[in-house]
Amino acid sequence: MDSPRDQFIDGIERQLTRLACDVILDPTPAAVSAAIDALAQALASGDAAELASRIRDIAVTTDAQGLAPVCEALWREWIAEDEVLRDVVALSADAELSGMFVAEALDHLGTIEATLLQLEDTPDDKTLLNDVFRPFHTIKGNAGALGVTTVQALAHQVENLLDRCRSGQHRVGSAEVDVVLKAVDLITAMLIDLSARIAGKPGTPLRNDRLVLVAAVERIIARGPEEPTAQPQTDSLPLSPFVDGAQPIGSKRTDEPKRAAAVRADAGESQASVKVDTRKLDGLVDIVGELVILQSLIYEDPAVKSVSDERFTRNLAQLRRITTDLQRGAMSMRMVPIRQTFQKMARLVRDLSKQSGKQVELTLAGEDTELDRKVVEDINDPLMHMVRNSMDHGLESREGRRAAGKRATGQLSLRAFHQGGSIVIEIADDGAGLNTDRIVAKAIANGLIQPDSALAPADIHQLIFAPGFSTAEQVTEISGRGVGMDVVKRNIQALRGRIDIDTCNGRGATFTITLPLTMAILDGLLVTVGAERFVIPTFAIRESLRPIPSQIHTVQGSPRLIQVRDELLPLVWLSDLFNVSGAVSDPTQGTVVVLEEAGRRISLVVDALIGKQEVVVKSLGAALTGIHGVAGGAILGDGRIGLILDAHGIVKLMDAGALAAA
Amino acid sequence: MNEQKTSIAAAGKYLTFALALEEYGLPVLKVREIIKLMDITMVPQAPSHVKGVINLRGKVIPVIDLRLKFGLPVAEYTERTCIIVVEVELDSRRVMLGVIVDWVSEVLNISTDEIEETPDFGERFETHYMQGVAKIRGKVKILLDLDRILAADHAFTKAA
Repeated sequence: MDSPRDQFIDGIERQLTRLACDVILDPTPAAVSAAIDALAQALASGDAAELASRIRDIAVTTDAQGLAPVCEALWREWIAEDEVLRDVVALSADAELSGMFVAEALDHLGTIEATLLQLEDTPDDKTLLNDVFRPFHTIKGNAGALGVTTVQALAHQVENLLDRCRSGQHRVGSAEVDVVLKAVDLITAMLIDLSARIAGKPGTPLRNDRLVLVAAVERIIARGPEEPTAQPQTDSLPLSPFVDGAQPIGSKRTDEPKRAAAVRADAGESQASVKVDTRKLDGLVDIVGELVILQSLIYEDPAVKSVSDERFTRNLAQLRRITTDLQRGAMSMRMVPIRQTFQKMARLVRDLSKQSGKQVELTLAGEDTELDRKVVEDINDPLMHMVRNSMDHGLESREGRRAAGKRATGQLSLRAFHQGGSIVIEIADDGAGLNTDRIVAKAIANGLIQPDSALAPADIHQLIFAPGFSTAEQVTEISGRGVGMDVVKRNIQALRGRIDIDTCNGRGATFTITLPLTMAILDGLLVTVGAERFVIPTFAIRESLRPIPSQIHTVQGSPRLIQVRDELLPLVWLSDLFNVSGAVSDPTQGTVVVLEEAGRRISLVVDALIGKQEVVVKSLGAALTGIHGVAGGAILGDGRIGLILDAHGIVKLMDAGALAAA
Repeated sequence: MNEQKTSIAAAGKYLTFALALEEYGLPVLKVREIIKLMDITMVPQAPSHVKGVINLRGKVIPVIDLRLKFGLPVAEYTERTCIIVVEVELDSRRVMLGVIVDWVSEVLNISTDEIEETPDFGERFETHYMQGVAKIRGKVKILLDLDRILAADHAFTKAA
């Protein structure tokens, strides 16, 4: 009697009794919601189907305000316990097909999410509603065809709700959008989970989330159209929770219309594009890179250059042109618009706005700006963090805004555009701006700067990128856990980008991220050190010079500083940092390259400059990770590899060296 | 090193090669190709036996010198020195790796009864990347488990 299972059943029974009493005493949707949530959680934590059926029996008799369909749905989910495993088996049958299904479904979910956000603003727009309904229907259909029952069931459930909205039985409100958004998240998670399981990785238990969501959808359907003062549609409440004659619970489902006509309604639009496995694409870009190098090898070959035949020269030039075009074409295939990333931010802003009670108007611009696929992937997290940051620290509360004489609704804008050879992403808010006094106080408290240091405003702003820096007066759920802007900056630097701040105290802040157009090709300066050659990214270089003796200053007998215009910069030998032998030691015999990294300038001594060169960036591979000061390798004109320097790592190496020497 | 930890090599085809007059063997399935020694670009902060990286038809792959790795005397590279390109597993990913050896000898079919467990040398020798020894025509060939060699190497990159 006292076994954990018995106790559990006991608990559920008590729960249900209380639920029934609650509903009778306080028939508000809130009470029902709370009770149903509790029930769903309790259900999800147990593990016996028999238990579930018993609860169902009890629940059926407590039919109050649509509780029966809720319990019915929960029960169906409950016995679907092993369905995930069945889904995995079903999907494993055809790897290519299932891969396509998952990719396509994720695509649809992205579209649905964006459309939902629009729908929330214009809930009566039938076209938008259809645009949400159709992809859900497609997902359901495809899931059904492949036998992915969990996804099919959930999509079906949501489609049911959406269809009621379409037919006018139900109105789209904030709760409806909320629950469909949650469904989008959950189906996304389920698809990712299924893919992981197929790949043999451990799965994530999502049944609990499924139960809660299914209950939520059923509850909304049962509750009917949202009206502020809506009373439950049942005319009379049962006197006892255990009355007989419960309604047939299956009836809710029988009115589900068969929408065969809507199937594939959106199939026509996607004719113009083809889905390609990204690995194939990367492989193509790699091979084209090789072709370009090989082509220039042939072009530069003395034997070829000595040929004076006109037709041959013309053909060679033609080959060169075609190769360049091919390379450009291959590169462009890796470019994707930033739209999806921006849409994710729109969702984030919506959620944060609800959570914090701050009203925000988000403006998006330049969503069609194209970025390298890899950049789009990697920019997501930093961008997300910065949006959180703007929402939390930037924009004031409604009261704060009123006190400052601003509109109660805050403005947040995300903009992407091309500028020269770069892509710029701008995040601007009209909030409080960066408070230099508070930043300085915090930096002093954290020991980042000395109390008496005089810093220019721009330098002060850069302090927020220091590790462990956070000025949020209280740690909020949204941000302010001490990890943040430093990670943002590191991520952006890893993309060979830059971040700048433009702020006006009290009037807002603009963060500008500048990124290279593509990750695959890098503009660099080829230099020699001893027998080695290195590529220094052009964006990190301020200037290069051949110093004269009067520019060099010694410290404790050895050359340590160089005067460049009116600045004294530390001298660093690349040969020292990288242990290269046979390099020039007298800076006046070599060349000095002035690097700038995060506002710091250092002078790197190398033997000689060979020239500017565009190189294809290659990773050194998994076996050689974590090499400081090296961003990758480039295959040079002669087929050998030249290492590409990473200015950030060089500065770190220099600091570490200085520390070791002290 | 106890018996449980050392998995014994399976029978099959092995590529044998020489290092300081000792004979070693690698499962042929792991070998991608054998190339002549080429220009190697040094990589800073890597341990001395990691000679650097090479361009293998557009792929950047690291190269290690097995003599240095095994603490054998350093020798000048000769005409016969070559790089065996192998595919090894690192953190459940497949990576290509070049290993410099004195020369490659032949491909041998080694049967189970020719393979013996690695003898216990005590603490003096690192034996955890040996998968056993094979006695062929009176000569001993040391069978290597390259996955383990690289896994042990993996620590180096985090050092600096």
